[in-house]
Amino acid sequence: MIQVRGLTKTYRVPVRPPGLGGALRSLFSREFREVKAVRDLSFSIQPGERVGFLGPNGAGKTTTLKMLSGLLYPTSGELSVAGHVPQSRAPAFLQQITLVMGQKQQLLWDLPARESFELNRAMYGVERAAFRSTLDELVAMLRAEALLDKPVRNLSLGERMKCELIAALVHRPQVLFLDEPTIGLDVEMQVQVRQFVAEHNRETGATVLLTSHYMQDIAALTPRLLIIDQGTLRYDGSLDELSRRVAPERRIVVQQVLPELAGLGFAVTEGRMVATVPAAEANALIQRLLTLAPLVEFGVEVPPLEEVIARVFAEGRA
Amino acid sequence: MIRGFRMEVALALLRVSLLTAMQYRASFMAEILVGGLSAFGVAAPLFLVYARVSELQGWTLDQALLVTGFFLLYNAFVAGLIEPNLGAIVDGVRSGALDYLLIRPVDAQLLLSVRRVAPVAIWELVAGLIVVAVSLGRLGEPSVAAVALAALLFGCGLAATYGLWLMVICTSFWFVRVDNLRFLLGAVSDAGRWPVSVYGRGIRIALTTVIPVALVSSYPAMALLGRLDFSLVGGAVATAVAMLVASRMVLMRALRSYSSASS
Repeated sequence: MIQVRGLTKTYRVPVRPPGLGGALRSLFSREFREVKAVRDLSFSIQPGERVGFLGPNGAGKTTTLKMLSGLLYPTSGELSVAGHVPQSRAPAFLQQITLVMGQKQQLLWDLPARESFELNRAMYGVERAAFRSTLDELVAMLRAEALLDKPVRNLSLGERMKCELIAALVHRPQVLFLDEPTIGLDVEMQVQVRQFVAEHNRETGATVLLTSHYMQDIAALTPRLLIIDQGTLRYDGSLDELSRRVAPERRIVVQQVLPELAGLGFAVTEGRMVATVPAAEANALIQRLLTLAPLVEFGVEVPPLEEVIARVFAEGRA
Repeated sequence: MIRGFRMEVALALLRVSLLTAMQYRASFMAEILVGGLSAFGVAAPLFLVYARVSELQGWTLDQALLVTGFFLLYNAFVAGLIEPNLGAIVDGVRSGALDYLLIRPVDAQLLLSVRRVAPVAIWELVAGLIVVAVSLGRLGEPSVAAVALAALLFGCGLAATYGLWLMVICTSFWFVRVDNLRFLLGAVSDAGRWPVSVYGRGIRIALTTVIPVALVSSYPAMALLGRLDFSLVGGAVATAVAMLVASRMVLMRALRSYSSASS
């Protein structure tokens, strides 16, 4: 569904010395600096896959997403989405994709969301009957019945995101580019958006490429991960595989403080006892733990996702 | 050449822009009022001048009013459609708000050109029609051929004006802020309110070709007065087509340079 080979995007950015003097100087002679936002990126995504696109601010995620949706021209490299070259912006291509940006809005600010949906219906040439059934379906999935007739400016951030998602999906796109769709939302609304994206993907089989800063989005939604940093791909694979590779240790947590466990390498943290061992030795340690304290309550944890990702970036930069 | 154009889309856009304009009652009423005053302001200087002279470079008051009438119609077109739409492109480039327009399967030029309508322009439209009708009433009915010629020249003038504006606005894709160019264009176009023959030769040529405002005001008036023949049509059509084609090419090139803005 999506093929990317050697994708590179270079921006030419004006450089201005600080202060009034600098501003004055740059009026007459401007200096430019080339910024490589994306360098030699390659990956491919199969139809129906859900893929998480992860990276720190300025890693090149949004730039890549904008190139995939045809908004930006790549400096070099090859791109193919749903059998089209995105930057040609052929109507047949644009019909099949959608882009949701958590930080921007497509809804008409002063009008009820319903008007935005109707405008999109006309622009995508969706038949009225099909539009109505899609709209009903989306509204039910997002529980957004009460929101459609309020002016958008009177909606809360979470309510607006629900309507943004509906507006983005009325034409039943095959490829969804979601750029931080949960940004700024409260926990409950984040969960609702996640559930919706998962359900929509199950029912329509649409391909999803999602960027997010919230690890929970990635953990809950996207079995496959692409990690990008400074415009370069650092990792492509499953989350489990990543944990195994980057964080090969396990954390064994005992829910109470038993001084005799200190001999096994356990240390007290926040009223619990924790031991961190290489994954391969975890089973042996559990055996010894159960021999020593057969009735103890314990759990095995992998390091938190944030920590794993941070290690990937640290490795890449080292 | 224009892909994805559908009447349904144009109507849906028009509907939304009217709904938006009417969303705030006070602002809507104020705009309508201001529009009325500015329409009056266009015609006022003419009466001041003709209070002192009876003829200006071969134009009587009634004939000059005809020019004013067309100038008002032209202003209605610029204030009602061109300014709000093409002006929004400059902001869209700066803020990245064009993102959601450019992913639609509709021709980008159509979307960028007709998504907003300023109801304020209705006054200049009405005033223009009245002024043209009144001065024609006093000057006598023109021939059908003269009306056809005037309409053709006016249409070509509007098309050329649109092309010129679009090209100027497209420079914002590279330079981001081009508000000054817009104001310059507006100020120079103001010269169109006077019959073009009051100006010197250089300015006359400039107002016919570079900033073709004479094509929308003086020439249609001259056609109705029987002072022009169809020999001008070729040039007017050529100017309009050249401006439209060139502006389309510039826009397509500009879209390639669109750099969006942040995330």
